Amino acid sequence: MIGVLAGREIRSGLVTPLPWILLGAGQIVLAWIFLQVIETFSGLGADERVASLTQELALNLFGFAAVIAMLAAPLLAMRMLSGEFRDGSFDLIGAAPLRIVEMVLGKFLGLIALITPLCLLPALNLLLLADVAGLDAGQIAAATLGLWLAAILFCAIGLYASSLTAQPGAAVLIAFGILLLFSIIGRAESFAVQTLSLFGWLSWNEHLFWFLLGAVRLSDLAYFILFTGLFLALTHRRLANRRLQ
Amino acid sequence: METLVRVTDLSRRFGSHLALSGVNLCLERGEVLGLLGPNGAGKTTCLRLLGGMLAPDGGRIEIQGIDLARRPLEAKRHLGYLPERPPLYPELRVDEYLTFCARLHRLPRRRIGEAIEEAKHRCGLEDAGRRLIAKLSKGFRQRLGIAQAILHKPALLILDEPTEGLDPFQMRELRGLIRELAHDCGIILSSHLLPEVQAVCDRVAILYQGQIRFDDYLPAEQPVYGWRIRLGPPSSVAQVADLPGVAGALALGDDRYRVMLADDATSADLARVILLAGLELRELIPDRSDLERVFFDLIGVEEAA
Repeated sequence: MIGVLAGREIRSGLVTPLPWILLGAGQIVLAWIFLQVIETFSGLGADERVASLTQELALNLFGFAAVIAMLAAPLLAMRMLSGEFRDGSFDLIGAAPLRIVEMVLGKFLGLIALITPLCLLPALNLLLLADVAGLDAGQIAAATLGLWLAAILFCAIGLYASSLTAQPGAAVLIAFGILLLFSIIGRAESFAVQTLSLFGWLSWNEHLFWFLLGAVRLSDLAYFILFTGLFLALTHRRLANRRLQ
Repeated sequence: METLVRVTDLSRRFGSHLALSGVNLCLERGEVLGLLGPNGAGKTTCLRLLGGMLAPDGGRIEIQGIDLARRPLEAKRHLGYLPERPPLYPELRVDEYLTFCARLHRLPRRRIGEAIEEAKHRCGLEDAGRRLIAKLSKGFRQRLGIAQAILHKPALLILDEPTEGLDPFQMRELRGLIRELAHDCGIILSSHLLPEVQAVCDRVAILYQGQIRFDDYLPAEQPVYGWRIRLGPPSSVAQVADLPGVAGALALGDDRYRVMLADDATSADLARVILLAGLELRELIPDRSDLERVFFDLIGVEEAA
Protein backbone atom coordinates (compact mmCIF):
# COMPACT_ATOMS: atom_id res chain seq x y z
CA MET A 1 0.00 0.00 0.00
CA ILE A 2 2.83 2.39 0.89
CA GLY A 3 4.39 1.60 -2.48
CA VAL A 4 1.11 2.24 -4.31
CA LEU A 5 0.73 5.67 -2.69
CA ALA A 6 4.38 6.58 -3.22
CA GLY A 7 4.20 5.43 -6.84
CA ARG A 8 1.20 7.66 -7.47
CA GLU A 9 2.95 10.65 -5.89
CA ILE A 10 6.07 10.09 -8.00
CA ARG A 11 4.02 9.68 -11.18
CA SER A 12 2.04 12.86 -10.41
CA GLY A 13 5.23 14.70 -9.54
CA LEU A 14 7.01 13.75 -12.76
CA VAL A 15 4.19 14.93 -15.01
CA THR A 16 3.96 18.33 -13.30
CA PRO A 17 6.60 21.00 -14.03
CA LEU A 18 7.55 21.82 -10.42
CA PRO A 19 10.25 19.14 -9.80
CA TRP A 20 11.81 19.85 -13.19
CA ILE A 21 11.90 23.58 -12.55
CA LEU A 22 13.49 23.04 -9.14
CA LEU A 23 16.03 20.66 -10.63
CA GLY A 24 16.86 23.05 -13.48
CA ALA A 25 17.12 26.12 -11.28
CA GLY A 26 19.14 24.14 -8.73
CA GLN A 27 21.59 23.04 -11.39
CA ILE A 28 22.10 26.59 -12.68
CA VAL A 29 22.85 27.91 -9.19
CA LEU A 30 25.15 24.99 -8.35
CA ALA A 31 27.02 25.30 -11.66
CA TRP A 32 27.66 28.96 -10.90
CA ILE A 33 29.02 28.22 -7.44
CA PHE A 34 31.04 25.31 -8.82
CA LEU A 35 32.71 27.60 -11.33
CA GLN A 36 33.42 30.26 -8.72
CA VAL A 37 35.04 27.81 -6.32
CA ILE A 38 37.24 26.37 -9.07
CA GLU A 39 38.14 29.86 -10.29
CA THR A 40 39.14 31.11 -6.84
CA PHE A 41 40.99 27.92 -5.97
CA SER A 42 43.02 27.79 -9.16
CA GLY A 43 43.88 31.48 -8.83
CA LEU A 44 45.54 30.98 -5.45
CA GLY A 45 49.14 29.96 -5.02
CA ALA A 46 49.89 26.65 -3.29
CA ASP A 47 50.85 28.41 -0.04
CA GLU A 48 47.73 30.59 0.04
CA ARG A 49 45.29 27.68 0.01
CA VAL A 50 43.81 27.07 3.45
CA ALA A 51 41.74 24.00 2.59
CA SER A 52 41.85 21.22 0.00
CA LEU A 53 39.77 21.47 -3.17
CA THR A 54 37.45 18.73 -1.92
CA GLN A 55 36.82 20.69 1.27
CA GLU A 56 36.22 23.94 -0.56
CA LEU A 57 33.77 22.22 -2.90
CA ALA A 58 32.02 20.24 -0.15
CA LEU A 59 31.42 23.26 2.04
CA ASN A 60 30.28 25.60 -0.74
CA LEU A 61 28.56 23.32 -3.23
CA PHE A 62 26.84 20.99 -0.78
CA GLY A 63 26.11 23.79 1.63
CA PHE A 64 24.27 25.70 -1.06
CA ALA A 65 22.55 22.55 -2.28
CA ALA A 66 21.15 22.16 1.27
CA VAL A 67 19.68 25.67 1.07
CA ILE A 68 18.12 24.83 -2.31
CA ALA A 69 16.67 21.61 -0.84
CA MET A 70 15.30 23.68 2.02
CA LEU A 71 13.42 25.84 -0.47
CA ALA A 72 12.36 22.89 -2.63
CA ALA A 73 10.99 20.50 0.00
CA PRO A 74 8.04 22.67 1.16
CA LEU A 75 7.12 23.39 -2.47
CA LEU A 76 7.07 19.70 -3.34
CA ALA A 77 5.24 18.80 -0.12
CA MET A 78 2.47 21.39 -0.39
CA ARG A 79 0.66 19.41 -3.08
CA MET A 80 0.74 16.15 -1.17
CA LEU A 81 -1.65 16.89 1.68
CA SER A 82 -2.60 20.54 1.60
CA GLY A 83 -3.41 20.53 -2.12
CA GLU A 84 -5.41 17.32 -1.70
CA PHE A 85 -7.42 18.76 1.18
CA ARG A 86 -8.22 21.75 -1.01
CA ASP A 87 -9.19 19.76 -4.12
CA GLY A 88 -11.10 17.13 -2.16
CA SER A 89 -8.99 14.29 -3.56
CA PHE A 90 -7.86 13.37 -0.05
CA ASP A 91 -11.29 11.76 0.38
CA LEU A 92 -10.18 9.05 -2.02
CA ILE A 93 -7.52 7.74 0.32
CA GLY A 94 -9.61 8.72 3.34
CA ALA A 95 -12.35 6.29 2.34
CA ALA A 96 -9.95 3.56 1.20
CA PRO A 97 -8.98 0.74 3.58
CA LEU A 98 -5.68 2.35 4.59
CA ARG A 99 -3.99 3.02 7.90
CA ILE A 100 -2.93 6.59 8.56
CA VAL A 101 0.65 5.43 9.00
CA GLU A 102 0.53 3.97 5.47
CA MET A 103 -0.76 7.28 4.12
CA VAL A 104 2.02 9.26 5.84
CA LEU A 105 4.80 6.88 4.81
CA GLY A 106 3.51 6.57 1.24
CA LYS A 107 3.45 10.34 0.79
CA PHE A 108 6.81 10.70 2.54
CA LEU A 109 8.53 8.11 0.35
CA GLY A 110 7.12 9.77 -2.76
CA LEU A 111 8.50 13.08 -1.53
CA ILE A 112 11.93 11.57 -0.85
CA ALA A 113 12.01 10.05 -4.34
CA LEU A 114 11.25 13.45 -5.85
CA ILE A 115 13.90 15.33 -3.88
CA THR A 116 16.68 12.73 -4.16
CA PRO A 117 17.79 13.83 -7.69
CA LEU A 118 18.35 17.31 -6.27
CA CYS A 119 20.62 15.84 -3.59
CA LEU A 120 22.66 14.00 -6.20
CA LEU A 121 23.26 17.14 -8.28
CA PRO A 122 26.41 18.37 -6.47
CA ALA A 123 28.04 14.94 -6.70
CA LEU A 124 27.16 14.77 -10.41
CA ASN A 125 28.76 18.16 -10.96
CA LEU A 126 31.91 16.93 -9.27
CA LEU A 127 32.12 14.06 -11.77
CA LEU A 128 33.46 16.64 -14.23
CA LEU A 129 36.62 16.85 -12.12
CA ALA A 130 37.01 13.08 -11.75
CA ASP A 131 39.87 12.85 -14.24
CA VAL A 132 41.65 16.14 -13.62
CA ALA A 133 41.73 16.45 -9.82
CA GLY A 134 42.22 13.90 -7.11
CA LEU A 135 39.10 14.47 -5.05
CA ASP A 136 38.39 12.60 -1.83
CA ALA A 137 35.59 10.22 -2.80
CA GLY A 138 34.90 9.33 0.84
CA GLN A 139 34.32 12.94 1.81
CA ILE A 140 32.03 13.51 -1.18
CA ALA A 141 30.05 10.42 -0.27
CA ALA A 142 29.70 11.63 3.33
CA ALA A 143 28.64 15.09 2.14
CA THR A 144 26.05 13.57 -0.22
CA LEU A 145 24.71 11.42 2.61
CA GLY A 146 24.49 14.45 4.89
CA LEU A 147 22.74 16.50 2.23
CA TRP A 148 20.27 13.69 1.62
CA LEU A 149 19.52 13.29 5.34
CA ALA A 150 19.00 17.04 5.68
CA ALA A 151 16.67 17.00 2.64
CA ILE A 152 14.70 14.15 4.25
CA LEU A 153 14.30 16.21 7.40
CA PHE A 154 13.09 19.16 5.29
CA CYS A 155 10.61 16.84 3.58
CA ALA A 156 9.24 15.67 6.92
CA ILE A 157 8.84 19.30 8.04
CA GLY A 158 7.23 20.17 4.68
CA LEU A 159 4.81 17.27 4.97
CA TYR A 160 3.84 18.28 8.50
CA ALA A 161 3.20 21.87 7.42
CA SER A 162 1.21 20.52 4.49
CA SER A 163 -1.04 18.58 6.87
CA LEU A 164 -1.85 21.72 8.86
CA THR A 165 -3.89 23.65 6.33
CA ALA A 166 -5.92 23.32 3.14
CA GLN A 167 -4.14 26.36 1.69
CA PRO A 168 -0.98 25.18 -0.09
CA GLY A 169 0.49 28.70 0.01
CA ALA A 170 0.06 28.89 3.76
CA ALA A 171 1.56 25.40 4.10
CA VAL A 172 4.71 26.56 2.29
CA LEU A 173 5.01 29.63 4.52
CA ILE A 174 4.57 27.55 7.68
CA ALA A 175 7.25 25.13 6.47
CA PHE A 176 9.63 27.99 5.66
CA GLY A 177 8.97 29.41 9.11
CA ILE A 178 9.84 26.15 10.88
CA LEU A 179 12.87 25.58 8.66
CA LEU A 180 14.13 29.10 9.20
CA LEU A 181 13.78 28.66 12.94
CA PHE A 182 15.81 25.44 12.77
CA SER A 183 18.43 27.26 10.69
CA ILE A 184 19.02 30.27 12.92
CA ILE A 185 18.36 28.74 16.31
CA GLY A 186 22.08 27.94 16.59
CA ARG A 187 22.84 31.66 16.72
CA ALA A 188 21.10 31.93 20.06
CA GLU A 189 24.28 30.40 21.44
CA SER A 190 26.01 33.76 21.42
CA PHE A 191 23.34 35.27 23.68
CA ALA A 192 24.02 33.04 26.62
CA VAL A 193 27.36 31.90 27.94
CA GLN A 194 27.26 28.14 28.09
CA THR A 195 29.47 25.34 26.99
CA LEU A 196 26.77 22.71 26.49
CA SER A 197 24.80 24.33 23.72
CA LEU A 198 21.28 23.03 23.30
CA PHE A 199 20.41 25.62 20.69
CA GLY A 200 23.48 24.79 18.69
CA TRP A 201 22.55 21.14 18.80
CA LEU A 202 19.02 21.89 17.59
CA SER A 203 20.02 23.60 14.36
CA TRP A 204 20.47 21.38 11.33
CA ASN A 205 23.39 23.25 9.81
CA GLU A 206 25.69 22.38 12.71
CA HIS A 207 25.07 18.70 12.03
CA LEU A 208 25.34 18.96 8.27
CA PHE A 209 28.71 20.72 8.74
CA TRP A 210 30.32 17.55 10.11
CA PHE A 211 29.04 15.50 7.17
CA LEU A 212 30.49 18.09 4.77
CA LEU A 213 33.86 17.73 6.48
CA GLY A 214 33.64 14.00 5.81
CA ALA A 215 32.81 12.87 9.34
CA VAL A 216 29.76 10.65 9.67
CA ARG A 217 29.03 10.84 13.38
CA LEU A 218 26.38 8.81 15.12
CA SER A 219 25.11 11.86 17.00
CA ASP A 220 24.46 13.69 13.72
CA LEU A 221 22.76 10.65 12.20
CA ALA A 222 20.63 10.40 15.33
CA TYR A 223 19.70 14.09 15.09
CA PHE A 224 18.38 13.79 11.53
CA ILE A 225 16.57 10.52 12.15
CA LEU A 226 15.08 11.76 15.42
CA PHE A 227 13.67 14.98 14.02
CA THR A 228 12.46 13.32 10.80
CA GLY A 229 10.60 10.80 12.97
CA LEU A 230 9.24 13.56 15.18
CA PHE A 231 7.71 15.50 12.29
CA LEU A 232 6.30 12.35 10.70
CA ALA A 233 4.70 11.46 14.04
CA LEU A 234 3.21 14.96 14.23
CA THR A 235 1.83 14.55 10.69
CA HIS A 236 0.28 11.22 11.70
CA ARG A 237 -1.27 12.85 14.75
CA ARG A 238 -2.60 15.69 12.65
CA LEU A 239 -4.25 13.36 10.12
CA ALA A 240 -5.76 11.27 12.91
CA ASN A 241 -7.19 14.44 14.48
CA ARG A 242 -8.66 15.62 11.19
CA ARG A 243 -11.42 13.04 11.55
CA LEU A 244 -12.38 14.59 14.87
CA GLN A 245 -12.53 18.20 13.71
CA MET B 1 -32.80 -9.58 3.28
CA GLU B 2 -29.43 -8.83 4.71
CA THR B 3 -28.75 -5.69 6.73
CA LEU B 4 -25.81 -3.85 5.21
CA VAL B 5 -25.67 -0.76 7.33
CA ARG B 6 -26.97 -0.09 10.77
CA VAL B 7 -26.59 3.39 12.18
CA THR B 8 -27.53 3.83 15.80
CA ASP B 9 -28.01 7.13 17.55
CA LEU B 10 -25.40 8.94 15.49
CA SER B 11 -24.49 12.46 16.50
CA ARG B 12 -21.85 14.91 15.50
CA ARG B 13 -21.14 18.51 16.39
CA PHE B 14 -18.81 21.08 14.90
CA GLY B 15 -17.86 23.35 17.76
CA SER B 16 -21.13 24.58 19.20
CA HIS B 17 -23.11 23.71 16.06
CA LEU B 18 -24.95 20.41 16.31
CA ALA B 19 -24.76 19.02 12.77
CA LEU B 20 -26.42 15.66 13.44
CA SER B 21 -28.23 14.28 16.43
CA GLY B 22 -29.84 10.95 17.18
CA VAL B 23 -29.76 9.63 13.61
CA ASN B 24 -30.89 6.02 13.20
CA LEU B 25 -30.79 4.35 9.81
CA CYS B 26 -30.85 0.86 8.37
CA LEU B 27 -30.11 -0.30 4.86
CA GLU B 28 -30.79 -3.71 3.38
CA ARG B 29 -28.99 -5.25 0.42
CA GLY B 30 -30.70 -4.32 -2.83
CA GLU B 31 -32.15 -1.13 -1.42
CA VAL B 32 -31.63 2.44 -2.60
CA LEU B 33 -32.01 4.99 0.16
CA GLY B 34 -32.34 8.64 -0.73
CA LEU B 35 -31.18 11.18 1.81
CA LEU B 36 -33.09 14.39 1.27
CA GLY B 37 -32.86 17.71 2.95
CA PRO B 38 -32.35 21.41 2.38
CA ASN B 39 -28.82 22.83 2.24
CA GLY B 40 -27.09 22.57 5.58
CA ALA B 41 -29.40 19.85 6.89
CA GLY B 42 -26.49 17.48 7.59
CA LYS B 43 -26.64 15.23 4.51
CA THR B 44 -22.96 15.51 3.65
CA THR B 45 -21.92 15.22 7.30
CA CYS B 46 -23.98 12.05 7.57
CA LEU B 47 -22.39 10.56 4.45
CA ARG B 48 -18.89 11.60 5.54
CA LEU B 49 -19.46 9.83 8.84
CA LEU B 50 -20.63 6.73 6.97
CA GLY B 51 -17.57 6.92 4.72
CA GLY B 52 -15.25 7.01 7.72
CA MET B 53 -14.01 10.47 6.79
CA LEU B 54 -15.23 11.93 10.07
CA ALA B 55 -15.47 10.35 13.49
CA PRO B 56 -18.87 10.58 15.21
CA ASP B 57 -19.23 12.19 18.64
CA GLY B 58 -21.71 9.53 19.65
CA GLY B 59 -23.45 6.49 18.25
CA ARG B 60 -22.37 3.52 16.17
CA ILE B 61 -22.04 2.71 12.48
CA GLU B 62 -21.91 -0.92 11.44
CA ILE B 63 -21.24 -1.96 7.87
CA GLN B 64 -22.09 -5.63 7.36
CA GLY B 65 -21.93 -6.05 11.11
CA ILE B 66 -18.42 -4.54 11.34
CA ASP B 67 -18.06 -1.51 13.60
CA LEU B 68 -16.60 1.32 11.52
CA ALA B 69 -14.94 3.00 14.51
CA ARG B 70 -13.30 -0.14 15.92
CA ARG B 71 -12.33 -1.99 12.74
CA PRO B 72 -12.20 0.74 10.09
CA LEU B 73 -9.98 -1.17 7.66
CA GLU B 74 -12.28 -4.17 7.39
CA ALA B 75 -15.42 -2.03 7.26
CA LYS B 76 -14.04 0.25 4.54
CA ARG B 77 -13.35 -2.72 2.26
CA HIS B 78 -17.09 -2.99 1.72
CA LEU B 79 -17.44 0.68 0.94
CA GLY B 80 -17.51 2.68 -2.27
CA TYR B 81 -17.67 6.43 -1.74
CA LEU B 82 -18.26 9.32 -4.08
CA PRO B 83 -17.85 12.64 -2.23
CA GLU B 84 -19.50 15.89 -3.24
CA ARG B 85 -16.52 16.78 -5.40
CA PRO B 86 -15.19 13.75 -7.29
CA PRO B 87 -11.76 12.95 -5.76
CA LEU B 88 -9.65 13.08 -8.93
CA TYR B 89 -6.02 13.78 -9.75
CA PRO B 90 -6.10 16.10 -12.78
CA GLU B 91 -2.54 15.27 -13.83
CA LEU B 92 -3.26 11.55 -14.34
CA ARG B 93 -4.93 9.77 -17.24
CA VAL B 94 -8.24 8.00 -16.69
CA ASP B 95 -6.72 4.50 -16.85
CA GLU B 96 -3.84 5.41 -14.56
CA TYR B 97 -6.25 6.86 -12.05
CA LEU B 98 -8.54 3.84 -12.06
CA THR B 99 -5.55 1.50 -11.70
CA PHE B 100 -4.45 3.49 -8.66
CA CYS B 101 -7.96 3.26 -7.17
CA ALA B 102 -8.08 -0.49 -7.81
CA ARG B 103 -4.77 -0.95 -5.98
CA LEU B 104 -5.92 1.25 -3.10
CA HIS B 105 -8.88 -1.09 -2.65
CA ARG B 106 -6.54 -4.07 -2.74
CA LEU B 107 -7.94 -5.72 -5.85
CA PRO B 108 -5.78 -8.68 -6.90
CA ARG B 109 -3.43 -7.69 -9.73
CA ARG B 110 -4.91 -10.08 -12.31
CA ARG B 111 -8.42 -8.72 -11.76
CA ILE B 112 -7.54 -5.04 -12.09
CA GLY B 113 -7.75 -4.83 -15.91
CA GLU B 114 -11.07 -6.61 -16.00
CA ALA B 115 -12.55 -4.48 -13.16
CA ILE B 116 -11.46 -1.24 -14.84
CA GLU B 117 -12.98 -2.27 -18.17
CA GLU B 118 -16.26 -3.14 -16.47
CA ALA B 119 -16.43 0.09 -14.48
CA LYS B 120 -15.62 2.16 -17.56
CA HIS B 121 -18.26 0.33 -19.56
CA ARG B 122 -20.88 0.90 -16.88
CA CYS B 123 -20.13 4.61 -16.65
CA GLY B 124 -19.77 5.20 -20.39
CA LEU B 125 -16.05 5.91 -20.23
CA GLU B 126 -14.88 3.28 -22.76
CA ASP B 127 -13.24 5.79 -25.08
CA ALA B 128 -11.81 8.02 -22.37
CA GLY B 129 -9.09 5.68 -21.04
CA ARG B 130 -6.15 7.62 -22.46
CA ARG B 131 -7.56 11.06 -21.76
CA LEU B 132 -6.06 13.38 -19.19
CA ILE B 133 -8.43 13.98 -16.25
CA ALA B 134 -7.71 17.73 -16.36
CA LYS B 135 -9.20 17.82 -19.86
CA LEU B 136 -12.45 16.03 -18.95
CA SER B 137 -15.74 17.90 -18.83
CA LYS B 138 -17.68 18.14 -15.57
CA GLY B 139 -20.07 15.34 -16.52
CA PHE B 140 -17.20 13.03 -17.39
CA ARG B 141 -15.44 13.83 -14.12
CA GLN B 142 -18.61 12.91 -12.26
CA ARG B 143 -18.80 9.65 -14.20
CA LEU B 144 -15.18 8.91 -13.38
CA GLY B 145 -15.94 9.59 -9.72
CA ILE B 146 -18.73 7.02 -9.89
CA ALA B 147 -16.46 4.57 -11.73
CA GLN B 148 -13.88 4.71 -8.92
CA ALA B 149 -16.61 4.10 -6.34
CA ILE B 150 -17.98 0.96 -8.05
CA LEU B 151 -14.64 -0.39 -9.23
CA HIS B 152 -14.18 -2.93 -6.43
CA LYS B 153 -17.86 -3.96 -6.36
CA PRO B 154 -18.54 -2.70 -2.83
CA ALA B 155 -21.49 -3.96 -0.83
CA LEU B 156 -22.34 -0.42 0.19
CA LEU B 157 -22.21 2.50 -2.19
CA ILE B 158 -22.38 6.05 -0.84
CA LEU B 159 -23.04 8.75 -3.43
CA ASP B 160 -23.09 12.39 -2.37
CA GLU B 161 -25.18 14.31 -4.90
CA PRO B 162 -24.28 12.02 -7.82
CA THR B 163 -26.36 13.84 -10.43
CA GLU B 164 -24.64 17.17 -9.84
CA GLY B 165 -23.23 18.49 -13.11
CA LEU B 166 -24.87 15.88 -15.34
CA ASP B 167 -27.08 16.73 -18.29
CA PRO B 168 -30.64 15.31 -18.36
CA PHE B 169 -29.58 12.49 -20.65
CA GLN B 170 -26.71 11.46 -18.37
CA MET B 171 -29.05 11.77 -15.38
CA ARG B 172 -31.35 9.23 -16.94
CA GLU B 173 -28.42 6.92 -17.65
CA LEU B 174 -27.23 7.29 -14.07
CA ARG B 175 -30.68 6.40 -12.77
CA GLY B 176 -30.53 3.21 -14.83
CA LEU B 177 -27.03 2.51 -13.52
CA ILE B 178 -28.08 2.99 -9.90
CA ARG B 179 -31.03 0.61 -10.33
CA GLU B 180 -28.72 -1.92 -11.98
CA LEU B 181 -26.09 -1.63 -9.24
CA ALA B 182 -28.76 -2.01 -6.57
CA HIS B 183 -29.21 -5.67 -7.60
CA ASP B 184 -26.13 -6.66 -5.67
CA CYS B 185 -25.39 -3.83 -3.27
CA GLY B 186 -27.05 -1.23 -1.09
CA ILE B 187 -26.90 2.41 -2.10
CA ILE B 188 -27.27 5.58 -0.08
CA LEU B 189 -27.46 8.74 -2.11
CA SER B 190 -28.05 12.31 -1.11
CA SER B 191 -29.75 14.91 -3.20
CA HIS B 192 -31.80 18.03 -2.94
CA LEU B 193 -33.68 17.19 -6.14
CA LEU B 194 -37.00 15.65 -5.13
CA PRO B 195 -37.99 14.15 -8.52
CA GLU B 196 -34.54 12.58 -8.79
CA VAL B 197 -34.95 10.82 -5.47
CA GLN B 198 -38.50 9.82 -6.27
CA ALA B 199 -37.40 8.28 -9.57
CA VAL B 200 -34.59 6.16 -8.26
CA CYS B 201 -35.02 5.41 -4.56
CA ASP B 202 -36.96 2.69 -2.78
CA ARG B 203 -36.84 4.57 0.48
CA VAL B 204 -36.43 8.15 1.53
CA ALA B 205 -35.08 9.68 4.68
CA ILE B 206 -35.54 13.40 5.12
CA LEU B 207 -32.96 15.19 7.21
CA TYR B 208 -33.74 18.55 8.65
CA GLN B 209 -31.66 20.45 11.19
CA GLY B 210 -29.54 17.37 11.82
CA GLN B 211 -32.39 15.02 12.57
CA ILE B 212 -34.22 12.41 10.54
CA ARG B 213 -37.77 13.68 10.28
CA PHE B 214 -39.12 11.08 7.89
CA ASP B 215 -37.97 7.60 6.88
CA ASP B 216 -40.27 5.44 4.81
CA TYR B 217 -40.64 3.38 1.66
CA LEU B 218 -41.92 5.09 -1.44
CA PRO B 219 -45.00 3.41 -2.91
CA ALA B 220 -44.40 2.05 -6.42
CA GLU B 221 -47.71 3.48 -7.66
CA GLN B 222 -47.84 7.12 -6.81
CA PRO B 223 -51.40 8.05 -5.89
CA VAL B 224 -52.87 11.30 -7.13
CA TYR B 225 -53.16 13.58 -4.16
CA GLY B 226 -55.18 16.30 -5.80
CA TRP B 227 -55.22 18.57 -8.79
CA ARG B 228 -53.53 21.82 -9.52
CA ILE B 229 -55.53 24.28 -11.56
CA ARG B 230 -54.94 27.72 -12.92
CA LEU B 231 -57.90 29.93 -13.75
CA GLY B 232 -58.27 33.12 -15.72
CA PRO B 233 -58.60 36.21 -13.49
CA PRO B 234 -60.58 37.19 -11.59
CA SER B 235 -61.09 34.14 -9.37
CA SER B 236 -61.14 33.39 -5.67
CA VAL B 237 -60.61 30.35 -3.53
CA ALA B 238 -64.21 30.56 -2.29
CA GLN B 239 -65.49 30.23 -5.86
CA VAL B 240 -63.39 27.10 -6.38
CA ALA B 241 -64.30 25.55 -3.05
CA ASP B 242 -68.02 26.03 -3.72
CA LEU B 243 -67.94 24.05 -6.98
CA PRO B 244 -69.88 20.76 -6.84
CA GLY B 245 -67.64 17.70 -6.41
CA VAL B 246 -64.80 19.73 -4.83
CA ALA B 247 -63.92 18.58 -1.32
CA GLY B 248 -61.43 21.33 -0.60
CA ALA B 249 -59.35 24.00 -2.27
CA LEU B 250 -56.18 25.79 -1.33
CA ALA B 251 -54.97 29.02 -2.92
CA LEU B 252 -51.40 28.92 -4.17
CA GLY B 253 -51.41 32.51 -5.43
CA ASP B 254 -51.68 34.00 -8.94
CA ASP B 255 -55.06 32.32 -9.62
CA ARG B 256 -53.52 28.91 -8.94
CA TYR B 257 -55.25 26.46 -6.63
CA ARG B 258 -54.75 22.97 -5.29
CA VAL B 259 -58.08 21.15 -5.40
CA MET B 260 -59.15 17.99 -3.57
CA LEU B 261 -61.97 16.16 -5.24
CA ALA B 262 -64.78 14.25 -3.58
CA ASP B 263 -64.36 10.45 -3.80
CA ASP B 264 -66.66 9.93 -6.78
CA ALA B 265 -65.55 12.96 -8.82
CA THR B 266 -63.00 12.79 -11.67
CA SER B 267 -60.87 15.39 -13.40
CA ALA B 268 -63.39 15.52 -16.25
CA ASP B 269 -66.09 16.49 -13.76
CA LEU B 270 -63.83 19.18 -12.36
CA ALA B 271 -63.19 20.67 -15.80
CA ARG B 272 -66.90 20.61 -16.58
CA VAL B 273 -68.02 22.34 -13.35
CA ILE B 274 -65.37 25.01 -13.73
CA LEU B 275 -66.60 25.87 -17.23
CA LEU B 276 -70.24 25.71 -16.12
CA ALA B 277 -69.52 28.12 -13.29
CA GLY B 278 -68.32 30.62 -15.93
CA LEU B 279 -64.65 30.41 -14.88
CA GLU B 280 -61.85 30.18 -17.40
CA LEU B 281 -59.77 27.00 -17.03
CA ARG B 282 -56.18 27.50 -18.16
CA GLU B 283 -54.33 24.55 -16.57
CA LEU B 284 -55.30 21.26 -14.95
CA ILE B 285 -52.42 19.12 -13.64
CA PRO B 286 -52.48 16.04 -11.39
CA ASP B 287 -50.61 16.73 -8.14
CA ARG B 288 -48.68 13.48 -7.72
CA SER B 289 -45.61 14.61 -5.86
CA ASP B 290 -46.41 13.29 -2.43
CA LEU B 291 -42.73 13.43 -1.51
CA GLU B 292 -42.69 17.12 -2.21
CA ARG B 293 -45.70 17.49 0.03
CA VAL B 294 -44.07 15.51 2.81
CA PHE B 295 -40.91 17.53 2.38
CA PHE B 296 -42.55 20.90 2.64
CA ASP B 297 -44.96 19.82 5.35
CA LEU B 298 -42.03 18.69 7.46
CA ILE B 299 -39.95 21.71 6.88
CA GLY B 300 -42.93 23.92 7.39
CA VAL B 301 -42.55 26.16 4.37
CA GLU B 302 -45.09 26.23 1.63
CA GLU B 303 -43.61 26.64 -1.80
CA ALA B 304 -43.92 30.13 -3.19
CA ALA B 305 -45.38 29.07 -6.58
